[in-house]
Amino acid sequence: MAAQGVRASEYQVKAVFLFNFAQFVDWPADVFPDSATPLVIGILGNDPFGEVLDLTVRDERLRGRPFQVQRYRSVDEIKNCHILFISRSEGARPEVILAGLKQRAILTVSDADRFAERGGMIRFVTDRSRIRLQLNLEAAQAAHLTISSKLLRVAEIVRRPGS
Amino acid sequence: MIKWTALGLGLGLALVAGPGSAQQPDSAAQALKQLSIEQLMNLEVMSVSKRPERLAQAASAIQVITYDDIRQSGASSLPEALRLANNLQVAQVDARQWAISARGFNSTTANKLLVLIDGRTVYTPLFSGVFWDVQQVPLAIIDRIEVISGPGAALWGANAVNGVINVITKDAKDTPGLVVSGGGGTHLPGFGTARYGGALGSSARYRIYGSRFARDPSALPNGQDAPDAWHLGQGGFRLDWDASTLSRVSLQGDLYDGRIDQLSPGDIAVSGGNAMAKWSRTISETSNLTAQVYYDRTHRTIPGTFGEDLDIYDVELQHQTRLGARHDLVWGLGYRLINDHVANTPALAFLPAHISRDWLTGFVQDEIALVPDRVHVALGTKIEHNDYTGFEIQPSGRVNWTVSPSATFWAAVSRAVRTPSRIDRELYAPGQPPYFLAGGPGFHSEDELAYELGYRHHQGSLALSVATFYSRYHGLRSLEQVNPPAATPVVIANGQDGESYGAELTANYVVTTRWRVRAGYSELRVHIWPNPGSTDTSRGATESQAPDRQLFLHSSIDVSAHLGFDAGLRAIGEIARPGVPAYAELNARLTWQPTAKVDLSIVGQNLLHRRHAEFGASATRRDIERGVYGLVEWRF
Repeated sequence: MAAQGVRASEYQVKAVFLFNFAQFVDWPADVFPDSATPLVIGILGNDPFGEVLDLTVRDERLRGRPFQVQRYRSVDEIKNCHILFISRSEGARPEVILAGLKQRAILTVSDADRFAERGGMIRFVTDRSRIRLQLNLEAAQAAHLTISSKLLRVAEIVRRPGS
Repeated sequence: MIKWTALGLGLGLALVAGPGSAQQPDSAAQALKQLSIEQLMNLEVMSVSKRPERLAQAASAIQVITYDDIRQSGASSLPEALRLANNLQVAQVDARQWAISARGFNSTTANKLLVLIDGRTVYTPLFSGVFWDVQQVPLAIIDRIEVISGPGAALWGANAVNGVINVITKDAKDTPGLVVSGGGGTHLPGFGTARYGGALGSSARYRIYGSRFARDPSALPNGQDAPDAWHLGQGGFRLDWDASTLSRVSLQGDLYDGRIDQLSPGDIAVSGGNAMAKWSRTISETSNLTAQVYYDRTHRTIPGTFGEDLDIYDVELQHQTRLGARHDLVWGLGYRLINDHVANTPALAFLPAHISRDWLTGFVQDEIALVPDRVHVALGTKIEHNDYTGFEIQPSGRVNWTVSPSATFWAAVSRAVRTPSRIDRELYAPGQPPYFLAGGPGFHSEDELAYELGYRHHQGSLALSVATFYSRYHGLRSLEQVNPPAATPVVIANGQDGESYGAELTANYVVTTRWRVRAGYSELRVHIWPNPGSTDTSRGATESQAPDRQLFLHSSIDVSAHLGFDAGLRAIGEIARPGVPAYAELNARLTWQPTAKVDLSIVGQNLLHRRHAEFGASATRRDIERGVYGLVEWRF
């Protein structure tokens, strides 16, 4: 019933996906210097979420770690970030942004076209009013992220053409 | 985990304010955070103007079993997965047979439950029920199972007297790549499934699968093996094609073949297959049309008892359209033709041995927004014509009242009928006169009037749902003495009336993001009595064999990102007649994911006792034994 009986706004659901990704990804230990280091979800470019993402992670903790939402205008502003949502305004040139991240241990997410084929890690695909996930596992592995099977099972695995 | 209706409705209501409304985005987020990734992927998001929810389901006792629930339960077959819905009575009879029903009236030939797999009625006109041994959908391709207790007749038609089970498999798009799984254990000597999903061009995806399993025998009361070991192989395909932005086409089919031991004089042979095509087209923003056609063939030979070859041809058309701001109209037409050949034996006969019958159905339902987003009413009826009783009319009225974003009441009044099947009119035993038992040429439809009242509540990480019901039955099946007081012969008639009432409670609690628990509890009373003039003194002992109460507890823990532990306890009350003792059993599953591509699981089933019985009279009863099996899944 929950699944087929509910109407939710698109970015409300995407915000919850971003929050959930934190539970399905293992980062290298060095990105969390101590147990109080917050898990940072960043938004690069125009913010489509408004207050929704902040409300979604407010008061939430993951293994004792609080969540924090940061917003960036450019890649250079990104310091400590664990999940990065790249908005459509920036997603048109993902190669440039991804190169700027230099395979740092950041889970990159976007709804931009062909984001995962172009080296991003997770793309939201809206298909018949449902949100599906495309996952570029090689990109995640290159950034030393471990993706849980729960995510692998439901996502469509895509590769960079030719790789 | 079961997606509790309460959660769905609570969530729906929390979000029903719709796009652009900033009303309580916080509570919407809280509700959404309780959903699994798969459930999130199944959510319809608001970007498309489409009405996602059918009130007929919202205002009913629906429970949804997801793929995640099935995995976590360690179920190894469809009937085992159905134990996850506490609004069903599920009992394993022996190694292959199951008795499954809703709201009582359970037996191995239960006839008041409609079961559909991807919209295909899984049905034998022999007794209006289901041969569960040949419904072997690989669990890995099931998207979800919707279980509705209570009459669904207005939309689904005859047979949906006390419930509807809707098994929905995944879109081919959602099963890409090669996945191989297999394993074995104490009662599953070996099983395996391989599936492959690929693309045909840019707009079509397909999936093919093959699976095979064997099952060890159940136990006789003295502990020895019963002669009911069996094995079955099945293969199938599905193609989903986005023919254009407005139209979709699906093609699917399955083939199976199996052998089942029996004491004598030879193995039971089962085989069959089906092929189905579906087409759906969006006509406008507020209107869409779907059509489906299928063919289903089953063959069953039970040496010494009977044999059957059954062909079913079915075509259905459905149109949905919004009329003005307040009306949402759905109507449909359907035609079904069956050809049934029975091979009679000295033990029993269906006469005539060969029949060809058809059904014509139409339905219409209007969902009316009486007070938009607050009070919705659905009025509808199904009209069916069958060769036995002519026209049958099955109306229902449902109302859904949203009291607050977290609370909903619903109520329904429905009439449903169970139309005659071959067993009621055409069964004779033995196979030659003089008959001890004869079908009733005057057997007419069993008739039900059901009253339901439900409540759903959703608060933070807790979701609750209660469904209560009272049903009155007229003309239930009876066996009448032909020459009273002589006990035999008997003829089948409609000499009994009855009533049932009870409550189904579910609770779902998200303790932490890694630990979810749920509970289900149901109470059920069924009373059946003979009408004046009836000589049937059984008081329904063979018509309804169900426990008064059932309790389910389930816990699901993600120990770490790579380790999960699930446990499910069920406590099933005594079945007073024929006297099956109450029992409690525990299933548990431990899953480890050593690499991203491999899952290893170990599952324990019925762990509390070496063996226990779930159904049937003591003379013929079989025991179900404790079992353990291991499972490996590779994703390439």
